[in-house]
Amino acid sequence: MPTVIFQLPDGTERKVIAASGTVLMQAAVSGGVEGIVAECGGNASCATCHVYVDSEQAELVGPPNDVEDEMLDFTAAERRPTSRLSCQIHLSDALDGLVVHVPEEQV
Amino acid sequence: MSALTTAAPGAPVVELDLAELRRDPYPAYAELRRTAPLAWVPSVGRHLLTRYDDIVHAEKLPEVFSSREEGSLLLRTVGPNMLREDDPDHRRLRAAAEPPTRPRQVRDQWAAAFERTAHKLLDRIAGRGEGDLIRDFAEPLVAANLALVLGLRNASAADIADWSRAMMDGNSNYADDPDIWLRAERATRAIEEAVAEMAEVTRREPDGSVISSMVHAADPVALAEIQNNVKVIIGGGVNEPRDVFGVGAWALLQRPDALDRALKDPSAWKRVFEETARWISPIGMYPRQLTQDYEIAGVTLPAGSRVALVIASGNRDESVFERADEFDLDRPHRPHLAFGGGPHFCMGAWVARHEVSAIAWPLVFSRLKGLRLDDGATASDSGSAAGSLDGWVFRGLTSLDVTWQATA
Repeated sequence: MPTVIFQLPDGTERKVIAASGTVLMQAAVSGGVEGIVAECGGNASCATCHVYVDSEQAELVGPPNDVEDEMLDFTAAERRPTSRLSCQIHLSDALDGLVVHVPEEQV
Repeated sequence: MSALTTAAPGAPVVELDLAELRRDPYPAYAELRRTAPLAWVPSVGRHLLTRYDDIVHAEKLPEVFSSREEGSLLLRTVGPNMLREDDPDHRRLRAAAEPPTRPRQVRDQWAAAFERTAHKLLDRIAGRGEGDLIRDFAEPLVAANLALVLGLRNASAADIADWSRAMMDGNSNYADDPDIWLRAERATRAIEEAVAEMAEVTRREPDGSVISSMVHAADPVALAEIQNNVKVIIGGGVNEPRDVFGVGAWALLQRPDALDRALKDPSAWKRVFEETARWISPIGMYPRQLTQDYEIAGVTLPAGSRVALVIASGNRDESVFERADEFDLDRPHRPHLAFGGGPHFCMGAWVARHEVSAIAWPLVFSRLKGLRLDDGATASDSGSAAGSLDGWVFRGLTSLDVTWQATA
C-alpha cells in the first residue's frame, strides 16, 4: 500500500494511500486531489492528469511510453523533463513515498 | 437486462416540451438542476441527469452507466459501433481507430492540408463581401478535413456533409418518419461502399488514415466494424467542429474586446474554443443504461433504467461556473464536459481543436476584413434567442450570415 504525496499549486500537499497495482491518476481521483482532471478516465487520450514527478525520484518512476510522450507535448501547463501522465504511472511498493507536483492548469 | 421505459420509483416526473427544448433548453435545465437533478422526462423517455458533479460521477462508472443501450436509434441507423459498446470491445475498436486523431498526428500529418482547404474556401468567397459562414465555410471545411483523416479519398466534402446530415436525422428520428429512415439507409449504404473500396486500397498502401489504421490494427477489426465506426465518426464529426466554429465566431462578433484580444494574442484562441464548447456545447446529452441498481442524485435507479447525461446542463451548473450563462474568456479554469468523459472521451477532440482554433477562426478573422454580423443575426448574451440556434441533443447555429469588405 504505497503512500503518494501530491504537492498542489497553492503550496499545500495531499497524502493518499493507494493500493499496489493501481495507477497514480486513480489514486488522485479516489483521494479527491484537486487539479487531476482525468477526462478520459486513464486512456492517455486527453492529457488532463499531467503531473511533475519530483526530480529526485524521476529515475525511479521511469520515462513516459510512446503514446504518453506524444500527449505530453500538448498539456495545458508547460512540459518539463519530469512531466508524466499520472494515468500511466503504475504504483507499487517501490514507489512508496512518491512526491508529484500538480500543475496550475490541465485544460 | 431489459430497458425500462418508465420512471424509477421516487424519481420526479417533469414534463418538457421537445419543441421548446430545441429552441432553448437552458431555462429548463436550470430549473431541473435546482429542483429535480434526476428527473424522468416522458417526452424523452429517459431520466435526465443535469448537475455537473453527478454527470462526472456517472462518467467515471462506465461499468454501471453502460453505453450499450437497447432500442438505441444510433444502433438502428448505423449498426453496432464503438459509441454504443463498453470496454473491452469499445477499447479494441477505439485503439484501432484512434492513432490518426492524436494531437501530434494532427499537427504533423493533417494540419497543412486543413490550412490549404481553409484558404481555398476563403479564396472562393472573399470577393463576395457577404455569405453564410456555416454553409460557405465551416461545413465544407470540416467535411473535407474529415474525409482526409478518415481516408475517404473517394468521397467529396459535399458527400460527407450530406451523409452526416442524413444519419443525424435518423439518429434523432423519434417520430419514426419513414422518409428519414430511407435517406439514412441510402447514406449508410453509400458509406459502406466507399469504406470497402478504401479499405482495399489501404490494405496494399497504408496512408495513415483512420481506415488504414483500422485495416492494419494489431488486434483485428472486421470490415463491417470499420464501416459502422466510420459511419459514427461521419455522423458526429461534421456537426461538432462546425457548431463550435459557428457559435464561437458568433460570440466574438458580438464581443469586439474578446475578438481583439484573440487577434492580438493567438494563444487566446484556445480559450475561445474551450469557453465556446462549455457555453453552448455542440453535443448536449448522450444516453446511458444502468447495468445494476444504483443511487444517484437522491434516487435509486433500477438496473435497465435509461439515463441521459445532460452535459450542456452540467456546463451551465452555477455551483461550478460563476455566471455560467455568460460567455467569458477570463473565467477561472474549470474543466468543461463538452467532450464527454471516461473511455468515450471524444476521439475527435484534438482534430476539432486544431482545425477550429488554430486554423478556421484565425484565418476567417484575418482574411475577411471588417467582418460583421448581418442585421438580424444578433442575439442575447445568454445565447438563447438567436433565430438560427437550434437543438438540444445537438446544438449549433444553422446559419451565420455576415458581411465583410470584398477583396479582389
